[in-house]
Amino acid sequence: MSPAMIWVGSAAPLRTVRWLDGALATAAKFGADTVAVAAGDPTWLDLAADRATRAGLPSAGVPTDLSLDYLGWAQVVAAVARQLAATTILVDEASRPERTAEVAAIAELVDKPQLTRVVSIAPDGVVVHAGRVLGRVLQTVRIHGPAVIGIRIPGKAIDEYPTPMPSASMKRLELAAIGLDPIVLAHRALPPRAATARKTADRVGELLLVHRVHAHHGRPRTHGDR
Amino acid sequence: MAAVLVYVDLVAGNRPGRRTTNADVIQPGDTVQPHGASLAALAAGRQVARAWGATLYAAIVVHDPTHDGKATTAIRGIDALEATLASAGADKIVVALSDAPAAPLWSSVGATWSGVLDHLRPRLVLFGADAPATPELGPRTGARIGARLLQRARAIGIDDVELRDRDGSYVRVGDSGATVALIGEARVEDICEDDVDLVVLALPGADDHVVLTGTQPAELQLTSDVVVALGDDALGDNVVAGARRLADLLGAQLVGGPAAAAAGAIPHAAAFEPNTPIAPDLCVVVGALALDLAGATTIVRIGASKFADGYLTGPLDAGLDELVRYLEDATP
Repeated sequence: MSPAMIWVGSAAPLRTVRWLDGALATAAKFGADTVAVAAGDPTWLDLAADRATRAGLPSAGVPTDLSLDYLGWAQVVAAVARQLAATTILVDEASRPERTAEVAAIAELVDKPQLTRVVSIAPDGVVVHAGRVLGRVLQTVRIHGPAVIGIRIPGKAIDEYPTPMPSASMKRLELAAIGLDPIVLAHRALPPRAATARKTADRVGELLLVHRVHAHHGRPRTHGDR
Repeated sequence: MAAVLVYVDLVAGNRPGRRTTNADVIQPGDTVQPHGASLAALAAGRQVARAWGATLYAAIVVHDPTHDGKATTAIRGIDALEATLASAGADKIVVALSDAPAAPLWSSVGATWSGVLDHLRPRLVLFGADAPATPELGPRTGARIGARLLQRARAIGIDDVELRDRDGSYVRVGDSGATVALIGEARVEDICEDDVDLVVLALPGADDHVVLTGTQPAELQLTSDVVVALGDDALGDNVVAGARRLADLLGAQLVGGPAAAAAGAIPHAAAFEPNTPIAPDLCVVVGALALDLAGATTIVRIGASKFADGYLTGPLDAGLDELVRYLEDATP
């Protein structure tokens, strides 16, 4: 099996850590030396280290206050992968919406095959058997050799989790130490946006409009598949 | 003149004895048609290309089992397909012939698609947000050409057309750099254009490191589609009817808890136990229902205001009615 790492992202999961835990448990199938990698502020790094430790995985963190687009974070992940000599890279793509695009960007930068939306996975020597969901269809896929794999697999339900303590076990990797210049990287910065919920029928309708089915659309107009 | 390139997903017509799905790999001899979401992307591309003075290319990747380099043998009904894409607004159609079956995976069509990108060097690349290959090809295309990525975008404006996504990111005619946009909505026009060029490229085929070995229906809780979820307090006739109409408009599955199934509002197979973890693209929750939704899911709540990207308070049936009317009346 090729050396692996899992990218758990640059910010804490939205809503629940259940999908983060599921991703870490899945990563553990690739060996106990699979490294959980996070980037971002200290509070998030402490949480990532804590959940990784509970899953039995070592962790590495890139402390930074940068807010980057998908290509910017992919540069960080690719640099960490080089540092750790990891060739198979798993990505928790369920915990935050921006993560899905990072799977492809990481794969492009490390020049590896990719597979997104994986809902089941079973490493078997040099081969990985995966289930990938596409709408209402489950694809069965066989992966040979290193790849970048986006996973959306939940862990066990958790009502509350203990506040993580600053972790001494997480390996800190400064940007400069992995060959990245923060000033250059900042060219991929995203402008800050206020995340405000839409509260009127027009604003909510606008949000739904970009999901509306078109005439001749491939997604069937059915309810409950009856 | 700049190029606007649209990736057009093809779906197989129904085969004798069974209904095909979006995930089916097109087989030699299948009749094919463009996916509806790809036609919406093409329509958005038409609006942009017209305003920006660009050429609109529609590109398809097809398996050429005979290796003879002819589109006519690779695609059954190429003339009808050409006419459909021309009437949807394409100036030129690029047929990229691959020696491997075209499954909706980067490993299957990525090398061939990259050849098209290298050939055209487009400034703007569009995908239908709901087209089968988009989750794999859209972001990877953006990374390959170093582009900004707009998610669920639509074209706005008449003279000064811009593409704007649901988060407020946009691209305008004078902007520098390349952009990849996943189109969620567009005004589909019938252009009635039959003077369209066909360009055929024979390009490298699949990467066999990732191989599709089969497909089957996914369990309900694995769906990555859109769901409309009925809470236990949302089982009145008007509410259920409104939720069904909304689900129809969104192409969504109508789901709920055991109470909704017991009341006959949904089939038993569409009932979730409390706190079932699901990760659809969009979940509209009507009333109170305990689902454990992934952080990547966009959530709209009707009748509640917590932990949502959008919400409406007040009576459930009135909220549903307002949304249904908005979606039925909205013109992109």
